[in-house]
Amino acid sequence: MNFASSLSRRWAMSRPSHCRSISNASPRLSATPAISEDRSNVPASPSPNSHFKITLLRSPISLGARIKGTLVSLGIHRRMQTVYFPHSPEVAGKILAVKELVAVENVPSEAVRTKTQQRHERKASRGFVVIGGLKDRLAELSPPPQRSRGSAS
Amino acid sequence: MFGPFQLSRVNLGGLLWKTPWRMSRTRKANQRARLKKVDAVIEAVRTSGVQCSALTEALKLPKEHEMPPRDKYTVFNPHVPGYRKGIHKVPKFTRVTMRVNPKGF
Repeated sequence: MNFASSLSRRWAMSRPSHCRSISNASPRLSATPAISEDRSNVPASPSPNSHFKITLLRSPISLGARIKGTLVSLGIHRRMQTVYFPHSPEVAGKILAVKELVAVENVPSEAVRTKTQQRHERKASRGFVVIGGLKDRLAELSPPPQRSRGSAS
Repeated sequence: MFGPFQLSRVNLGGLLWKTPWRMSRTRKANQRARLKKVDAVIEAVRTSGVQCSALTEALKLPKEHEMPPRDKYTVFNPHVPGYRKGIHKVPKFTRVTMRVNPKGF
């Protein structure tokens, strides 16, 4: 305990003032929840599954324009791509047309992710979060001058 | 000629592209796993509660555990003696559904 606190003090003193403040907390790491006193298992009521989660596992190469067109109409362009669709008979028919190539899961609407969101979730965390920098320090010391709007220049 | 198969008198004379008449046990295991995956897709569409004619047709297909081994690993062919042929001889058999064969064959 003492060893750790003395280390942090030394680190604070030796660090030059122009260094960015960095915390070790990563927003992607989930904090372990404290053990609750209440031991009863109360599962949260799950929201109903309203969407298909479709992942292409097998290629449509040499299966013909029909199957390829079905996958394109589902918005799938490459293997291992995942798309989400709300439940509907049209999408169900398309899935069954390519049932040998895809994996399907029923998910609630909270689980739906766009392409950008999926990409963001795939990214590895940097291991740190920037909580401040030189700009913030200067702003603290001397607030930025108020610019008058509409002045003739 | 181009490609890996270089024509020559020797290899044109004999049986070169040999495929065993039956699938090995590994291939059969993989075939069963593929059938189960398709079953899972049909099941997922069924549990979604959506109704469509494609689903009605898909539900008529037998599940992997309901299929006799003969139907899992062989397929009807009118040209061969016995009217049955290894399913691995069908092009794209890993990505095409061929579960039902004509009755009696």
